[in-house]
Amino acid sequence: MDDGTDILFDLLHFEIVNWTDRAHSEEKDKDKKDEDLSNLEYIGFSTGYRLIERLTKEMPRFKDELDTMKFICTDFWSAVYKKQIDNLKTNHNGVYVLQDNNFRFLSKMSNGKQYLEAAPKYVAFTCGIIRGSLSNLNIHCVVKAEVQSLPSCKFHIQIQRT
Amino acid sequence: MSRSTRFDTKKVNSELVTLTYGTLVAQMVKDLDTAEDVNKQLERIGYNMGIRLIEDFLSRTGTGRCLDLKDTADKILSAFRLYLGVQPNVVNWSGAGDEFSLILESNPLTELVELPDELKQLKYCNMICGVIRGALEMVQLDVQSWIVQDQLKGDQNTEIRVKFIRRLEDAMPAGED
Amino acid sequence: MAVCAAIVGKDNSPKYFCCINPDEELSYQYKVLSSLDIIEERLNPANKNASESKELFLGHLYSLETCKLYGYVTNTKIKLIIVVNAMNLTLKDNDIRSMFQKIHSEYADMVSNPFYIPGEPITSKLFDSTIKGIITGTV
Repeated sequence: MDDGTDILFDLLHFEIVNWTDRAHSEEKDKDKKDEDLSNLEYIGFSTGYRLIERLTKEMPRFKDELDTMKFICTDFWSAVYKKQIDNLKTNHNGVYVLQDNNFRFLSKMSNGKQYLEAAPKYVAFTCGIIRGSLSNLNIHCVVKAEVQSLPSCKFHIQIQRT
Repeated sequence: MSRSTRFDTKKVNSELVTLTYGTLVAQMVKDLDTAEDVNKQLERIGYNMGIRLIEDFLSRTGTGRCLDLKDTADKILSAFRLYLGVQPNVVNWSGAGDEFSLILESNPLTELVELPDELKQLKYCNMICGVIRGALEMVQLDVQSWIVQDQLKGDQNTEIRVKFIRRLEDAMPAGED
Repeated sequence: MAVCAAIVGKDNSPKYFCCINPDEELSYQYKVLSSLDIIEERLNPANKNASESKELFLGHLYSLETCKLYGYVTNTKIKLIIVVNAMNLTLKDNDIRSMFQKIHSEYADMVSNPFYIPGEPITSKLFDSTIKGIITGTV
């Protein structure tokens, strides 16, 4: 059985989604909706940035970008999301696609159109977690999530080269 | 499903809760006008979590109905152990036996926090008070809960007060028990 | 004990400096900043002299008449530097390594404070007193 902090984190995440949603509930237009998600994404970013500082404390140095990505898909994902990423694809030119076939924050949702429409809210925090973690590891990127059928999710990472 | 990871997942999850909560508080401080508003929002978030968390607690522990407030206090203790990994003490019972304090010597939510001077009005861990209120409401106990002492403000311990208001039996929806 | 510890950010700007003797602060600051090039060199994989090891502790960086400098770089590219008096022969590499690990751990805790904005200079008094304790060997 999962330990108690698991459900605490699930509930906290759920409430943060609701809080950022509610903060703009009177203004229903599209711009505001995007802003909701950017707040949520930022909360994830800031959390990921701090978390990775702690997690990589006792780890050897990463060899390169791909080595870092593999770490995100395995050790990192297992620690945060309870399972590894199921599939990692890359074009070897700064694009990575991480696929989780049973994503923690979607796994309790039933499949159906109205749930699919709500899905972006439940993946935005994680997009931020990924971006924040990588940013602190000096990999600057844009992260977008794609949900085609629940509870599976693909995270598209586009590295920003300078 | 593979769970293999070099990390202690229990520790990571607890840190994840601490860090996520911290970021949320910092974001609220930025978004809202007063610390008082933040305190209210944190309590409300806790309340919403509490009304869901109680189901998990009841199924996990197989707990039955509370006999009295002393029994309730004991169950709150085991919930702290289960969800936050800490063991508070129950002290300072009121003469009428309708009020008590939970004393936390350590609190994972505040362990890594340093409160800026301008946020002395902030009740950082007000979420916990909300969780207690929300969870107990679902078992027909109307209580008030507030922070009396706060380690973030230099107090030795964190003290959370719980006051019993009334039983909610009359407000039960028809057809449910 | 060490005489000075410094934390330098990703962008090579100093974030924190602590010196046991305040009179020497300026001269040590200068020495610490000059060591950054050596650190960059060690980390550059294209460089032949780059360290093969994946360890965060880089070991001894360089020595001057009066002092020795040691380096450590976190996975998040934060540079930690410790200065030891040249006359000090009791501190071994392992002692320095463990000092760095303690400072690193304190740094990670400090970054976890939700009211600290990453990249800002570190002003926490609590952090300062802990680091002083670490380099003087009282923690």
